[in-house]
Amino acid sequence: MCKNMPPLELAIQFHGHICPGLLMGVRAAEFAQKYLEVNPDQDEELLAIVETNSCGVDAIQAVLGCTFGKGNLIFKDYGKNVYTVASREKNRAVRIAQKYLAQPHPDNARYRELSCKDSLTEPEAVEKENLLASIFERLMTIPFEELFNWQEIEFAFPEKAQIYPTVQCSICGEGVMEPRAVLNGQLYICPTCA
Amino acid sequence: MCEANVYINRDGREELLMEGVDRIIPGEDQNIFLENVFGERRLVKARIKEMELVRHRIILEEIKEAAVKPHLELWLEPDTNHGHFHPGEDVRMKLFKGFNMRPDETAQMEGTEAFVLSNGRLQTLNLHKHHEAVEMNLGQELDGLAQIYVHQKEDRELYATALIEVGHHHHHGNQPLGLPLEIVPIDYSHARLGETYGIQVLKDGHPLAGAEVKATFSETQSRDYPHHLKTDEEGKTRLFLTARGNYLFSVTDGDTTSTFTLIKSF
Repeated sequence: MCKNMPPLELAIQFHGHICPGLLMGVRAAEFAQKYLEVNPDQDEELLAIVETNSCGVDAIQAVLGCTFGKGNLIFKDYGKNVYTVASREKNRAVRIAQKYLAQPHPDNARYRELSCKDSLTEPEAVEKENLLASIFERLMTIPFEELFNWQEIEFAFPEKAQIYPTVQCSICGEGVMEPRAVLNGQLYICPTCA
Repeated sequence: MCEANVYINRDGREELLMEGVDRIIPGEDQNIFLENVFGERRLVKARIKEMELVRHRIILEEIKEAAVKPHLELWLEPDTNHGHFHPGEDVRMKLFKGFNMRPDETAQMEGTEAFVLSNGRLQTLNLHKHHEAVEMNLGQELDGLAQIYVHQKEDRELYATALIEVGHHHHHGNQPLGLPLEIVPIDYSHARLGETYGIQVLKDGHPLAGAEVKATFSETQSRDYPHHLKTDEEGKTRLFLTARGNYLFSVTDGDTTSTFTLIKSF
């Protein structure tokens, strides 16, 4: 790309498609950035703890630069659309939790129904496209407080991600990060072979 | 209970379309707008076949899209995938004829003229037929904002316009070309996904109020234009952009159809 992509485009490019979950993640990520007054992460200035592995997390990665590979995205498998974003430089953290809606908007319910189908007829595909457009506009324009609760929290920053030496597994010969290997006498064994 | 269930007859089979409907508004282009008590909304291309008011049943007859023969229109698309060109690179555009950004390969392109207006200079463009499109190369000299327009006179009068950006410029206050029917951006800057984009329809240079403006995008699944907008007293209307890629706006007045390609930039 030849200049900075808007956050929404970044998230869609990263995720591969547009969906309501991703849009919610974009709203949360943009809010966190504004609330903490930070730029997207370059080298672990930011840290995100995500309590779900659903679509919104890809927006957190793409927009905020808190990524799985960089080690500043910590996944807690709680099944909750909750994102805690922390800034080392500002020494601040905000916990953003998607509001629970006992009765989802009918458009979302129908969209989910269509998304779960293995294949769609042409009218259904058009209906799904129209529903997504309607959901898209609503999610991106609705006041943030109608979608999320948030609060600034005390945050104990963990150490930055460590870089460990790679050792060779004595069974398969493949390289493995040293702390993940099992030491059997003088020999390393990787988790796959152990 | 005042609401009704709406059924649609498709190929002789009746199926439930929407429950609890409390608003039915027949619109243009054989569209019927439905809204129910749960807030669901649908737009279907159909006609009302029967209303059984005692049984709270409305039965629609589906109108096949193919049965609605659209007028063909011209439109322009850039030969780039990121919304603008870089200074010094070949600026290439493609011209299509069809409907809803779906080219009709049998469409006649004879008699088509193309022009570019840049920095106050108007130049004629050479057109080359290539597969389903006509291509034009605007060269490497352009810089800033350029307006392209194409004209074809058959039994109907067709115009297509586009604004292209060469380099990373931010422009406002773009001037209309002065076509008999023209769609112009209200406030040109970088059009982005997730933002509202405004256009104005001008007829002989004056705002055209109450005109239907259709809008579509390149990846739509719909055979018809997915968006039907109406201009206000200033000839203006707006659309929230929810799709990737370029958008096409189209307006028809009498025997004249004019399109404007919104090239999204990022």
